[in-house]
Amino acid sequence: MKRSWYCLLLITSGLVLSGTGDFAHAAAFEPTKPIEAVVHTGPGGGSDIFARAIAELMQKEKTISQRMQVVNKSGGGSAVAMSYLAEKKGDTHTIGFFTGVWVTNPLTTAAAKVMISDLTPIVRLVLEPAVFAVKADSPYKTMKDFIETAKKNPNQLKQSGGSVTGRDNLVRLVIEKATGAKWVFVSFPSGGERIANLLGGHVDAMVIEPQEAGEHIKAGNMRVIAALTDKRLPSFPNVPTLKEQGIDVPVIPQARGVLAPPGVPKEVVQYWEGVFDRFAKSAGWRQYLEQNQFEDGYLKGPALNKFFDELAVQMREVLKEAGAKVVR
Amino acid sequence: MEALTNLLLGFSVALTPGNLFWCFVGVFLGTVVGILPGLGPAATIAMLLPLTFKMDHTAAIIMLAGIYYGSKYGGSTTSILLNVPGESASVVTCLDGYQMARQGRAGPALGISAIASFVAGTVGVIGLMLIAPPVARFALRFGPPEYFALMVLGLTMVVFLAGRSMIKGLLAMLVGLWLAGVGTDLFTAESRFTFGHMELLDGIDFVVVSIGIFAVAEVMVNMESRGGTELFKVPRGIRNLMPTLKDLKDCRFAFLNGSVIGFLIGVLPGAGSTIASFLSYGAEKAFSRYPEKFGTGVIEGVAAPEGANNSETGGALVPLLTLGIPGSNATAILLAALILWGIKPGPLLIQDHPALFWGLVSSMYVGNVMLLVLNLPLVPLFAQILRVPYFILYPGILGISVVGVYSVSNSLFDVWMLGLFGILGYAMRKLDFPAAPLVLGMVLGDGMERALRQSLMMSQGHLSVIVTRPLSATMICLALAILIMPLVNKVRSFRLKAVEQDV
Repeated sequence: MKRSWYCLLLITSGLVLSGTGDFAHAAAFEPTKPIEAVVHTGPGGGSDIFARAIAELMQKEKTISQRMQVVNKSGGGSAVAMSYLAEKKGDTHTIGFFTGVWVTNPLTTAAAKVMISDLTPIVRLVLEPAVFAVKADSPYKTMKDFIETAKKNPNQLKQSGGSVTGRDNLVRLVIEKATGAKWVFVSFPSGGERIANLLGGHVDAMVIEPQEAGEHIKAGNMRVIAALTDKRLPSFPNVPTLKEQGIDVPVIPQARGVLAPPGVPKEVVQYWEGVFDRFAKSAGWRQYLEQNQFEDGYLKGPALNKFFDELAVQMREVLKEAGAKVVR
Repeated sequence: MEALTNLLLGFSVALTPGNLFWCFVGVFLGTVVGILPGLGPAATIAMLLPLTFKMDHTAAIIMLAGIYYGSKYGGSTTSILLNVPGESASVVTCLDGYQMARQGRAGPALGISAIASFVAGTVGVIGLMLIAPPVARFALRFGPPEYFALMVLGLTMVVFLAGRSMIKGLLAMLVGLWLAGVGTDLFTAESRFTFGHMELLDGIDFVVVSIGIFAVAEVMVNMESRGGTELFKVPRGIRNLMPTLKDLKDCRFAFLNGSVIGFLIGVLPGAGSTIASFLSYGAEKAFSRYPEKFGTGVIEGVAAPEGANNSETGGALVPLLTLGIPGSNATAILLAALILWGIKPGPLLIQDHPALFWGLVSSMYVGNVMLLVLNLPLVPLFAQILRVPYFILYPGILGISVVGVYSVSNSLFDVWMLGLFGILGYAMRKLDFPAAPLVLGMVLGDGMERALRQSLMMSQGHLSVIVTRPLSATMICLALAILIMPLVNKVRSFRLKAVEQDV
């Protein structure tokens, strides 16, 4: 018992000492109770898993002094989570984990009234790269093969993917526009079904994350024919990007990061920026990025606001051209 | 032979004291979570995920899987005792289970549910162990047209659930199908029937509807007959609280049926345990010698669906562990756990991590035994709940219902919806509309619409795609046969009557 008190004393004094650098700010913010981290998916969803991993890593790396508790506010694409955060106006102990859906969802959904610009952006943490994959025994060895066939037989080839406002479909739309090829996008709500339908030969292609694709390639079930990134991926050095294959289209980013409710004090934003500055440099985080083959997407301040604005403009255009009903 | 040596390896992993302990923790938590309506295995596994980072990976997956299959055991408890479905897969159990409880046979109903779960759960594990790779390859042959045909086959179960009036059954099913249509259209991202409510964008949760229509309506109907109702009979003596030998004999086919249907449906990533339980209930009734008694407290009506939803867990782990494809929320979070621990789940998992895979499989045998031993002694205890006087029991049921519904997505809106569906359920009871077909329509509606539209997108609008593929054609034929069967019976009985009159 005595010993644990002693440990606690050591830890707190350590924290105080490590915080001395911040003494320049008269009233530096420090959380006094557990942090509520809002995600827009249920347990097991992409954002949920990402937030839980970060909460765990932060505890391991001792980046924050308080626990981070993941709160699932699923529903309406991301509308429920976003309006929950909007209602928590000024709350200093709540943050949210955004993805690209937080930008696109309000564009097409009238009932989703809160925009990402209504909230307080803090940092962007990762950009998830993606690859274009076909079944291992498919006749398409390059993106060109696929495009040629799609041009010759419009709407015969099929691609499995998620929601029509998601990245999978936006990638198809920009490639179709650039090349004049046409193929069909079939939505499946769960990632498992998308892969199962590709492996079962019911669809011809899909957009998939490199980490996931890696295992299926090793087992000889899948082939990757294009990297949907600016540069070749380290894990797929032989797979050329779309640009290298003569298809000049903008890269559709899949970003993940953290934001706060509207109207939080400046000190709180500074506190979180400081936390994520340190966190983004930690060994645990670097290892996590590598394991998941994520691209480091660290961005904050005005640059992050600019990213959101540009993304919204780009998405609105792509969706409009595809004939989706854009409400904002 | 290879399986045997592998299994020996597995048991050498699963039977270490540490792993036995974590297996017990998992199945115990699973049972508790199953009993509590609303809180599902996926949420529990997510909550416990942080604890597992410091654990040995094999021990951790053994525990998390224990929560997953253990929750299916507990799910029937509130269905039988209180008419509150604990999990979506236990809705069918309400039909005969609650009627059994009303007749003072709550004990045997709970007992047979534990035994059926054990038998089918074990069969599911055997299936996972012996035939996982070929079955997984077979499951890949299911594309959207096949899923559509499967859902149609599922909808024909309305024939077995409709009760006295087929027309009322069909109407209730249509309402269920409509309810399934509420929410955001997956293909166009447009909102349907949401009336500007953000909470409806993701559709109405199945738990809200089923608890409202079953539990809340039941309480309302009972409260109406003020003072006139008697307490449920709960016989004294352990012997009267356990299934008899005759019960077990009656359920022979139900065990088999539940095991096989549950496993096969479980293997399909797009189906789910709720469909498995409905299909096995339908099959049980179709082949029964006294189908007319189903719905009045027939023990097979409890054994078949409860078996199916346990065998389903073994099946659902097949695509997860052989292909890295999760079929449900709970398996998706198991997959996430593996990734977070740095294990790459995928087609090579069994090859790369034999101790983990075989340890998990073996622990599931052990876990199922633990669950049986854990659950059977609880039967007499739970049966005593029915001795509680109504003025405590009914508010209790309402309380459990509200908490259960709220815990699904922490939304007060859902609680209001619960009240609404309670009133709907009450009205349906008064007008003699069966509740089960509505729930059936709601479970299948979403997947059926999706599969149909996916099929049509693939075939460029040609409906023929559904009947030209052998697997889907077979299922559609089966569905037609089930639909025509009652008509044939009717004609025959009509002719018999005519012949009698002639004589």
